[in-house]
Amino acid sequence: MLQPLRETCRRLLEDGTVQVVIGYGQAVRAVEPYPVFITAPDDVGQLVWNEQCRTNLVKYLLRKEIRALGKPAIVVKGCDERALVVLEQESQIDRSQVVVIGMACEGMAEPRCEVCDAHQPRFADVTIGQTANEDQPAERRYAHVRQFLEQPLSSRIAYWKAELERCVKCYACRQACPLCYCERCIVDKNRPTCLDSSATLKGNFAWQIIRSFHLASRCVGCDQCSRVCPEGIDLRLLNLSMAQASETNFGYRSGTDPEAELILGHYSQQDQENFIR
Amino acid sequence: MSQVISKPALRRLVELWLRQGKRVIAPVQIRPNLVSYQPVRGPEQVALEGFVRPLNSIKEVVFPRHEKLFQYRVRGKQIDLLPAPLPDVEQVVLAARPCDAAAFPILDHVFNWDSRDAAYNRRRELTTVVTLACTEHDAHCFCTTVGSRPDDPRGSDALLLEVSDGTLEVRCVTDKGQSLFAGQTEASARTGRAGPGPERRADLELIGPLLERAFERSEWPAWTNRCLGCGACAFGCPTCHCFDMVDEGGPTCGARVRNWDTCQSGQFTLHA
Repeated sequence: MLQPLRETCRRLLEDGTVQVVIGYGQAVRAVEPYPVFITAPDDVGQLVWNEQCRTNLVKYLLRKEIRALGKPAIVVKGCDERALVVLEQESQIDRSQVVVIGMACEGMAEPRCEVCDAHQPRFADVTIGQTANEDQPAERRYAHVRQFLEQPLSSRIAYWKAELERCVKCYACRQACPLCYCERCIVDKNRPTCLDSSATLKGNFAWQIIRSFHLASRCVGCDQCSRVCPEGIDLRLLNLSMAQASETNFGYRSGTDPEAELILGHYSQQDQENFIR
Repeated sequence: MSQVISKPALRRLVELWLRQGKRVIAPVQIRPNLVSYQPVRGPEQVALEGFVRPLNSIKEVVFPRHEKLFQYRVRGKQIDLLPAPLPDVEQVVLAARPCDAAAFPILDHVFNWDSRDAAYNRRRELTTVVTLACTEHDAHCFCTTVGSRPDDPRGSDALLLEVSDGTLEVRCVTDKGQSLFAGQTEASARTGRAGPGPERRADLELIGPLLERAFERSEWPAWTNRCLGCGACAFGCPTCHCFDMVDEGGPTCGARVRNWDTCQSGQFTLHA
């Protein structure tokens, strides 16, 4: 798959379809692949594709330094691609101005890969490789959070206290999240302060709960936040819980249907809540 | 002759320190592949092997991520400022990595270069650092490149080294280390050994002149564009020491606190 990937990227750069390819590079096998931004056709040899390409690169599409490089092509997996769908629905990207290179993926040995139903990208402009998408019933996809919810409230609170005690508020979760794109995050508002900026248990609960709510029904479960958390906090659990709520109550899975109406971003005159009218 | 301590005896010591009311901070296995320096509740929590590095640094024992500087109370037109009490709990850092411990002398300079930071210095006085020499390293390790090594005693009050018979050699570096282990070790004919450490990757002497020539090179963005601007590197770094000061509380009472800050954040040093 690597050769077709490199050839595709070379062609896109050579014929001027795109000015930059956002993909994976890797110096040595012992160190994870990192994002590369290829602007010259002769540099496509830097691109790699292997079972260590866990990172979701979509956030880079929103970075002004990358936007300044010109029209992009981006390498995505079926799971990452869902973030593109949401970004388009939320008017953050113009899909016609991005070439999406979807990679068939057999899994990256991460927890979400065990319940993946997006091995084969569905919305890419160019797809490389061929694999099959298995159906994953909801009970399997949410097993992790369901098992957690079976514990009594006291153990769950104790778990989150121990986890969030470690949060240092580096905001890596926010910075790496493809769907955290506010120009000014609520935690950075300091005149007046909206949220404790302190990395105390109270401040950390406030931060993670707010972030989770802001991502409710939007998070696509790419696990980028869990992956970058330097304290190893299982943020996936929070996200799964919100995703389960949105699927159970609204039959909605973010990033799976470009035509679907957003739960939080759509209203109708017929909505029962008065504040809408 | 060397001085050694068995691992069970070391764990009994941890129990003793905890009974004495000391705070003991050591690597703790949180779940598979996740080891973090944490205050321990019992000796069984201390992880002595099976990992290369904890995911955080130990600077937090002397420079907490959140610290009250003073409290304020407003009564009518009167404003009372109440100084925050200085820390008074003795702490033992056990099984720190030498690269983490080596940060303490560097932080000492920073927190004393123009004014003496009372809370930092008090915590430092109350802290005894026991380091465990590394036997393994991974692709991310670079101590030998920056003039350190797997059994570097810098910043340690005592250094422990694995002995082939499963015991630990205790090398006391300072008086604090001596008094912590006084009467707790046995003489042995065997000595401990550290691992070889990572290969030296660069000559630091060359970096200065190289940078002077390469400061404006067009290749830099290929590296810097990867950075998403989170603070994980600064917060995980044992020598990064920037902090921000904020007031927390309401119009009648609250506190001025200092929190870790990072030059990677968009609002860094943007004061009103």
